[in-house]
Amino acid sequence: METMTVREELRAWILERSGAAPERLSTDDQPILDEGLLSSLDVVEFILFIESLREEEVDIENIEPEVFTNIDTLVEAFFPDEHDGLTP
Amino acid sequence: MSTPSIAETTQTLRSGFLRSCQAHPDRIALEVAGESLRYGELRDRAAALAATLAQHDCDRESSSGEPAPALTAILGHRSGAAFAGILGALLRGNGYVPLNPTFPPERTRNMLERSQCRAVIIDGQGEKQLDEVLAEIEASLLLILPEREDVSELAARFPKHTVLGAGDLADGDDWSPAPVDPNGIAYLLFTSGSTGVPKGVMVTHRNVVAFLDAMAARYGITPEDRFSQTFELTFDLSVFDLFLAWECGARVCVPSQAQKMLPAKYIQESRITVWFSVPSTGVMMSKLRMLKPDAYPSLRWSLFCGEALPAEIVESWALAAPGSIIENLYGPTELTIACTLYRWDPERSREDCELGLVPIGDPYPAMEVLVVGDDLREVAPGETGELLMTGPQLTPGYWQDPEKTAAAFITPPERDRIHYRTGDRVRRGDGKSPMVYLGRMDNQIKIQGYRVELGEIEAAIRDEAGVEVAIAIGWPVTAAGADSVVVFVSDENLDRADLVARAKARLPSYMAPREIRHIDTFPLNSNGKVDRKALRSLLEAD
Repeated sequence: METMTVREELRAWILERSGAAPERLSTDDQPILDEGLLSSLDVVEFILFIESLREEEVDIENIEPEVFTNIDTLVEAFFPDEHDGLTP
Repeated sequence: MSTPSIAETTQTLRSGFLRSCQAHPDRIALEVAGESLRYGELRDRAAALAATLAQHDCDRESSSGEPAPALTAILGHRSGAAFAGILGALLRGNGYVPLNPTFPPERTRNMLERSQCRAVIIDGQGEKQLDEVLAEIEASLLLILPEREDVSELAARFPKHTVLGAGDLADGDDWSPAPVDPNGIAYLLFTSGSTGVPKGVMVTHRNVVAFLDAMAARYGITPEDRFSQTFELTFDLSVFDLFLAWECGARVCVPSQAQKMLPAKYIQESRITVWFSVPSTGVMMSKLRMLKPDAYPSLRWSLFCGEALPAEIVESWALAAPGSIIENLYGPTELTIACTLYRWDPERSREDCELGLVPIGDPYPAMEVLVVGDDLREVAPGETGELLMTGPQLTPGYWQDPEKTAAAFITPPERDRIHYRTGDRVRRGDGKSPMVYLGRMDNQIKIQGYRVELGEIEAAIRDEAGVEVAIAIGWPVTAAGADSVVVFVSDENLDRADLVARAKARLPSYMAPREIRHIDTFPLNSNGKVDRKALRSLLEAD
């Protein structure tokens, strides 16, 4: 079985939690808060999920709200080693 | 534009805002979506909307010529247009009906139809839902989009309705205040209903002015204060943030959706002095390591309401905001926002807590508490029973639903005043120990502070799945209530993942079940009813 990339893991979590159809998050630059795919109701479990993927705690004091804009910004903030440039 | 002199003879929800506009039009009233609006500017925007509503007048008359309720709907969310829309409705002399663009459109349409509003003020977020919300609306509406310059495309798409954009608004100078009936509706707010249909709670100006007077006297708010505004407009706690701040000339700071993800940073960067949230936000901040000692030196008041408040959260919060006074407020929408409170005392309050929860304390000065047994007669001090309350914050009941109103608003034996049955089980204070909340008498739960009737979720699942029985359980349980809901069904042939998706399309996100589980046979209790405790035990056993 193939291992999912971080981007795929994040997308799968958000789609599962929101119950949204996959086409609503077909690219990594689609807004996730503005489209209602994620909300503050989800933040604890989402951060814990990110920490489980990173295998270390998130430095919550030093992240900016904008990191939750889309999958690109999430990867850039929380998985810098995976970040290979934003979606064109 | 100059602010005309306004000396209102009766106090209504708008009165405090208008006084502040006169006293200091250049102070900031609202920070929202990257914009800071001064009192004078916000008033001008609201006055333009009020004058527009008056000019078109359809907000007072239905398409059939019958008088329409004096209500204006606001389909908006965290935007200047939404807040100006609320004030515009009030300046027009109408009450407002908040509609939430993050809710499923079908639900919003139901609320809009039932409210019989003839005018809707819509922001950019609300505009995205217009096709679905208006799909089956038969009445001809006035649609006002103050953020939109060009509405020609929308006007062509919705020919049945009158569509106005920013360029079509009347001049705010044309607005003149008309008298407002203090017994008229200030806002109509729909809450979860056990039979599957949301209930509209009518809150009058007299109700909400009584609340604001009590709060203004207690908290000593000054124009230097900065209020958090964490609540959706469809949640009545938002009225506290907005109108107490505006009554006192203070500033309302509205976090964006992204800022709501990181409340610690928002409190610090916005230099919030009056914090008001549901306890779940405190729980969230604790779990995410945001309650570090001395993290929030700007806070003067830390207020919680909407669900049970765990003592351990308050203890952590007290260390994080050592300069603030912490209070636990309690109250259902039917009693106008909040009607009892308890001030946390680090020295002795732990002893007052029961089940690890902070007491709900004493009623506001003008409100009266009655704790009753099954016979609706008062129980002895220290005994448990259902909480009933009455006083100036007692609302007149449910919108166009005399049956539900009669069931919940009752005159108890040997009493001569109508009381509201809260459905909350409490232990009556006994002089030494304050009143404590012990849970619900029925199947209502709180999810992140939102009031949720499990019956409404069950009705939605029964309808979507075509089954006779569906039982919803608040799960996982938290100290403050529940994080979500799991629904049990006994039909093993259902596509449960599909059912979850359909429920999510139909219910607000906080009500949508996280999971649907199959059970061969529902366990029954001694009364022959489905044994919810047994179902909860199944979840605990996993």
